[in-house]
Amino acid sequence: MNAFGAFRALALNRVRASVRDRTSLIFTLGLAVLFMVIFGLLFGGNGVSLTLDAVNSDNTAASAGYLTALRSVPGVTVDVRSHATAFADLKDDSVVAVLVIPSGFGAAYEDKGPSQMVEIYQAGGSSSSTAIADDVVANVTAGFAAGQGHSTITLDSPKTAAVNQVTEMDYMLPSMIAYILLFSGVNYVAIGLVEMRVKQVLRRFRATPVRSGTILAAQVVGGALIVLLQILVLVLIGIWAFGARNYGSWLLLIPPIVLGTAAFVGIGFLITSIAKTSEAARALSAMVTFPLMFLSGIFFPMTGLPQVVQVISRILPLAWASDALHQVMNNGASFSAITTDCLVMAAWAVGAIALATWRFRWD
Amino acid sequence: MADIDVTGLVKRYGHVVAVDGLSFSVQKGEVFGMLGPNGAGKTTTLEIIEGLRAPDAGTVHVLGTDVLAHPGTVKERIGVQLQATALPDFTKVREAVELFAALYRQARPVAELMAEFNLEEKADAYTDKLSGGQMQRLSIALALINDPDLVFLDEPTTGLDPQARLNIWTVIEGIRQRGKTVVLTTHYMEEAERLCDRVAVIDRGHIVALDSPRHLIAANAAGTTVEFARVPGLDVEALRKLPGVDRVVADGQVSLTTRTPEVVLHALLDPQAPWAGAGSAGGDGEGEGMIRDLVVRHGTLEDVFLSLTGRSLRE
Repeated sequence: MNAFGAFRALALNRVRASVRDRTSLIFTLGLAVLFMVIFGLLFGGNGVSLTLDAVNSDNTAASAGYLTALRSVPGVTVDVRSHATAFADLKDDSVVAVLVIPSGFGAAYEDKGPSQMVEIYQAGGSSSSTAIADDVVANVTAGFAAGQGHSTITLDSPKTAAVNQVTEMDYMLPSMIAYILLFSGVNYVAIGLVEMRVKQVLRRFRATPVRSGTILAAQVVGGALIVLLQILVLVLIGIWAFGARNYGSWLLLIPPIVLGTAAFVGIGFLITSIAKTSEAARALSAMVTFPLMFLSGIFFPMTGLPQVVQVISRILPLAWASDALHQVMNNGASFSAITTDCLVMAAWAVGAIALATWRFRWD
Repeated sequence: MADIDVTGLVKRYGHVVAVDGLSFSVQKGEVFGMLGPNGAGKTTTLEIIEGLRAPDAGTVHVLGTDVLAHPGTVKERIGVQLQATALPDFTKVREAVELFAALYRQARPVAELMAEFNLEEKADAYTDKLSGGQMQRLSIALALINDPDLVFLDEPTTGLDPQARLNIWTVIEGIRQRGKTVVLTTHYMEEAERLCDRVAVIDRGHIVALDSPRHLIAANAAGTTVEFARVPGLDVEALRKLPGVDRVVADGQVSLTTRTPEVVLHALLDPQAPWAGAGSAGGDGEGEGMIRDLVVRHGTLEDVFLSLTGRSLRE
């Protein structure tokens, strides 16, 4: 044995046990996915009908033929609008995309001018319907050009319009990451550690030569690894199954997720120094997690909450975690926008873990 | 030097004195028993020796090392089985053995230990699905994972059925045969008598006697007990006057204590005695006597505890 070998064995045992614990998984990752399903059903079910605006700067028989070809696809509606109207429609989400047909389109089609590109703009935010629109337009454009026997007409790769039109799913994914930070972070450590103490598992570990600090650190780090693992699975499900998008940098998500995990694991750790039985740990965890969940802007913006509640929420770490995650994923914010969020979470993490270590009781 | 040297050990929990000035030594290779009712201070004493608790007073040396000063050194060389089945949740048997192997500098091969304790069949079962006996075998196997010189077993057979208990006894005898020192606590007399070279009888944090089971019985429970049913009409006072009877206890049944069982039995079974059966007008017409369900037994550690403390172990 070396100290790290013992630490690794203890932490991995903790992670493996948690992955096998179906009941806890349902209340953390399972519930987060369920929330996404519910919100998806409430806000996402648009069917396959696609409404597009076209800005026709060409106005030739060729461009009219192109639009007819598009309209012939079942479920597709194309309205010709002015540039300003089309982009206003895109911004308020009444169309999934705007096509811009350049003025040389007809000439290029008749092979009398340089080749031209149809541009497609999307509101960046929307989910599956944008992807379908891409495919439909690409197919029609390719077919239209091929019918002429040459390829002077091409489709530009989709461009994101200036404003991120954030969909429910885009908003839900960072919210559910925050939910897992909160519930898994607090519960796995608080309840897990208290149960191990009550069942004398910690005592049994202490009867081995492994140092007490190593035993404790392995349990806390094991809890943190479970949280990170669940977030990874949640993000993959969110992207693949629900079409949620991240408008920001994936790398920038690491600081808020790691610091948030540390903060909530620290709070769970703190609960173990107060709760004597696993029932008490469960009750205390619920008292911490449920109010936080509703008061920290996970499900709806905090601006609607009473002033007093907002002030309390501003002290607790969940609002900061939620803000940082939404800033990055929905607004594509840079690190400077989430620095304060990260500092608050770091303070909570250091404070809670230090206090919990100092107050920890082995019996 | 002794494997364990304990002097003047005291442990208090608030106003309760759990361990009140214990001193004893355990020699290399012996099986040392700590016998006493629940709350006597056995587990607390054990946990102090194992380096799990700090005493309020006293010194403890284990394998020549001061436990209070160097708990890590001692823990590397001892094996511990706690009273509770203390294993993490959702862990399979093999995983539990591997986990504990990783916690020591040197550990025995996992497969070898599993084979030795007949755990291979259950290797992929969750530990909480094991029977009481299997769980105890695993628990003792884990205590031996570091091939310790000294093994502590806290109530290794409590709650087991007789078959499983017998099985664990064989396991413990095997440990002793490999020359390891064993310290065990129990409140089963039979267990202490069969397994232990020496027994410390502990009551209320004190050692009230410490000797081999045979000597303890000879000194404190000398003699034989003759027991039989208390049939209505039996003259208990007449029994007290029988030759050789030292003591008579009559409640649900009658117990006669004697150092001369032959004399007492002769008088008791005399056909001329008032309680004899032959020719008497017994209710069943068969002429059965009033001495029924007769049992003769030697003194046990149970009697030792009773005579030393005036209380029964099972209270």
